[in-house]
Amino acid sequence: MQHTILLIEDKPGLRDTIQSLLELHQYQVITAANGEEGIHMATEHLPHLVISDIYMPVLNGYQLLEAFQANEQLRYIPVIILSARSATEEVNLALKKGAAAYINKPFLFANLNASIQQLLQTTSGSAPLTL
Amino acid sequence: MKNIDTTSSNDVANLLNNASNIIAITSHEFKTPLTAISASVELLATRLHSNQQMDAFYEKNLSRITTEIFRLNNMLDEMLTINTIMSGRMTLNKQIIDVVQLLITLRSNYFADPEDTRSFELIVSGIPQCIYADHNQMNRIFMNLVGNAFKFSREKPPVVEVDFDHHQVVIRVIDDGIGIPASDLPQLFQPFFRASNVDEIAGTGLGLSIVKTFVQENNGTITVDSIAGEGSTFTLTFLYHSDSL
Repeated sequence: MQHTILLIEDKPGLRDTIQSLLELHQYQVITAANGEEGIHMATEHLPHLVISDIYMPVLNGYQLLEAFQANEQLRYIPVIILSARSATEEVNLALKKGAAAYINKPFLFANLNASIQQLLQTTSGSAPLTL
Repeated sequence: MKNIDTTSSNDVANLLNNASNIIAITSHEFKTPLTAISASVELLATRLHSNQQMDAFYEKNLSRITTEIFRLNNMLDEMLTINTIMSGRMTLNKQIIDVVQLLITLRSNYFADPEDTRSFELIVSGIPQCIYADHNQMNRIFMNLVGNAFKFSREKPPVVEVDFDHHQVVIRVIDDGIGIPASDLPQLFQPFFRASNVDEIAGTGLGLSIVKTFVQENNGTITVDSIAGEGSTFTLTFLYHSDSL
């Protein structure tokens, strides 16, 4: 089964590269350039997993996590935060707001993929994705 | 006259504060292009593998780019940390820590040089007890000392000994590396100081001063024994949680 991942990143070059890496690893990828677009895409496509930056225009990653938690359809979709900020307070805040994992930039794709696999296994077949 | 002095000291304080903020902001901003470069390198490697075009030459050089990206990233982290320390913005979040578990996690997640396949040896003696310290800072202490042990050693893997003594845990990070000249030892924990025999090995000279600050913040001690050309042993001690209350 091919899993769909929503990638939310405001830097177009980085977004394209991560999208290609994910696609080469057999994931179907949809993208958004900020949190607002991300919520719209997530509601429309109900992806299996979301990868999101934090500092983005219009709606940031923290606001995205809050919106996911407040939405019955989106709250069970695991969100991996990819951020250059590594301070404990920022990591803890993201986890408190519902992030399923937090990976620092720059990252090794093997580490990102290990988190994706683990989260997809944990949440596979969970009800919200089939609603 | 008094007013001028006050204004002048305010200006200096503002300048330092602004400089500190600029370092913090630019260090973070550098990470975005670093991420784009490392992801592009991985994309090239994945593509070469899937097209069965990867050979030893490509593998070695792509992996070298990745190593240097992460080395540069470590330097940025060190600059950010020393900036936080020097601007007085460091916060402590102490908790109960299992040192052995922390080292096991570090060993499984450790990434430095993909061309170096060594792993450090962990030797535990005594009855394990927890300490009360800041998890992030303890992690940075061990990352730095173990990273140095790999960076400056030659063939044998570094060894980390954890000895649970009567009232404290004694941790030794041992390598058979290039060692530190005796004349350099007194300045070793000073910011920006680099030993006189490390010219060709990259570093900022900030790592050990950060380690010492973090050790002191967590009520520990750190000492070093080293012989140039034979290796170094960094010894850390921390009181047990029950004894530090």
